[in-house]
Amino acid sequence: MSISINSVSKAFGLYPAVNNVSLTIPKGDFAALLGPSGSGKTTLLRLIAGLENPNQGRILFNGIDYTDKSVKERKVGFVFQQYALFKHMTIFENVAFGLKVRPRKSRPSKQQIHEKVFELLKLVQLENTAARYPAQLSGGQRQRIALARALAVEPEVLLLDEPFGALDAKVRQELRLWLRELHQKLNITTVFVTHDQEEALEMADTIVVMNHGQIEQIGSPEKVYNDPANSFVYSFLGRVNEFRGDSIPQELRLNEETAGYIRPHEIVLSRTALDTSSPSEVIHVHTVGSAVRVELKRLDTDDILEAELSTEKYRQIGPLIKGEMLYADFSRMVIFDDDRPNQAKVSNKIVTAL
Amino acid sequence: MSKISIRRRTLPGFGLSMGYSIVYLSLIVLIPIALLFIKATSLSFSDFWQTLTDDRVTASFQLTFLASFAAALVNAVFGTLIAWVLVRYSFSGKRLIDALVDLPFALPTAVAGIALTSIYAPNGWIGRFFEPLGIKIAFTQLGIIMALIFIGLPFVVRSVQPVLQDLDIQYEEAASTLGANSVQIFIKIIFPAIFPALLTGFALAFARALGEYGSVVFISGNMPMKTEIVPLLIITKLEQYDYAGAAAIATVMLLLSFVLLFLINFWQWKSAKKHKAV
Repeated sequence: MSISINSVSKAFGLYPAVNNVSLTIPKGDFAALLGPSGSGKTTLLRLIAGLENPNQGRILFNGIDYTDKSVKERKVGFVFQQYALFKHMTIFENVAFGLKVRPRKSRPSKQQIHEKVFELLKLVQLENTAARYPAQLSGGQRQRIALARALAVEPEVLLLDEPFGALDAKVRQELRLWLRELHQKLNITTVFVTHDQEEALEMADTIVVMNHGQIEQIGSPEKVYNDPANSFVYSFLGRVNEFRGDSIPQELRLNEETAGYIRPHEIVLSRTALDTSSPSEVIHVHTVGSAVRVELKRLDTDDILEAELSTEKYRQIGPLIKGEMLYADFSRMVIFDDDRPNQAKVSNKIVTAL
Repeated sequence: MSKISIRRRTLPGFGLSMGYSIVYLSLIVLIPIALLFIKATSLSFSDFWQTLTDDRVTASFQLTFLASFAAALVNAVFGTLIAWVLVRYSFSGKRLIDALVDLPFALPTAVAGIALTSIYAPNGWIGRFFEPLGIKIAFTQLGIIMALIFIGLPFVVRSVQPVLQDLDIQYEEAASTLGANSVQIFIKIIFPAIFPALLTGFALAFARALGEYGSVVFISGNMPMKTEIVPLLIITKLEQYDYAGAAAIATVMLLLSFVLLFLINFWQWKSAKKHKAV
């Protein structure tokens, strides 16, 4: 089922949580609503589910206006951040709930419910937990049961609110892959909310970057990462160094407010001076997996910044110690002319070419 | 068997607080009750049996337990309703109604009894409308139930209210996304969550009603075999200087109440355990 959101707004009191948002999610898409807390991403998800009513705008499923339809009529699967498993019911009863509450005419027989529930439990690889209570499961297991329960009603849209928010890093990683596979298998239009850019980049087909109740950019992970529409998107997706004032080459400075950005891995370090590089002092070096992060102090401007090298590159340069002098090249610095961070305004981008 | 394991706790004072609790409970509850039992044993068994199997006594036992049960049941239903209204809706005067709920706690029960009697008497404000229909409220068993409902009202409301308050809306939302209608959400999601608290409230209201004397004596009319409750019968025995007989009736009343309350609490404990996180 495709989802169209046409100029939807929702305010809580005077606070505009979602402000005139338009968005189309095609059938079978795996979309991430990405943004910092308070950006309106969860509210948008709840608007799609029908758990909130918009103040204005329309929400269409497959081109049909669903704005005034109740949650029940929308047939969406919703997975809550805290899973909202019914504590007094066993796992079997939780998953069967959506089938058991159907009106008598369309309710499957006991046998059918039983088969369907075990089919779903098999899908989420938790068949042996049927007789247990939610309190007896781990966080990751509860997450999968919440998903199985949502899938029991055969939804055409699956909505997940911060699906991995409450899990530890390892379980999160496993579940990400698993959910991605599950989406490929079932091909249900899926929308999930996250504040974790890594999660969005890794899982989604489409990323919707939100800030202050508005959409900053919509695009594939490659698109939003490599070709960000504005400084907010650039700085929200991935680690970034920000420069202001004198740290930006004179010819690129549009006004006093101009800010320049460069990702840590785009800073080129060398032991010898190049004509565009600045002398920098090593403050701290630490290894993160396959990369080495170097904290630097730029001596000409006193900016503190972070550079990232592959271990290979690090070996070429040789071991760095605290206090050592290096030359850092910032020629891949990016300037946006909107230059008030967090300002919801799409801007033109100027890429530096030094 | 009787191994008591005391885990190391961050706060000291287990011995002191436990000791104080036991002394306190002994002075206030256990010793008086023990004396009651001792007094009752001063009767020979045949006397004891005779006192208890007297028609007037059995009738009053039946009336007390059934009327208390009925009143607690009515309170369970309407108390939940009041708690629901107080938690889920906001309206002007909500705080006033919230305070009103506690009034039966504060009002001397005799005052409540007199007020209820004058209203529900055949010529009272409300009683007169029931009179032509052939329904008598004051001076009947119905009147006793009315008084017991009044004094037991706060218990269910105050037990259920905090649980409803803490009930996360997301469970209801989850149920609605799964296609449940509002009746199904209430029966399958909300009711099981508040049930242990409801049972607690019910047990408290029931216990309170069993021991109630002040308000009932005014509205019941106190006709032997018809509208005579156990506490009144005990008072009557005392007035006739039949201390042992009064103690015998009180002992049985106490035992029956204890067994019933224990059963309700056990049920409550079992249903609450189901919801507890491990």
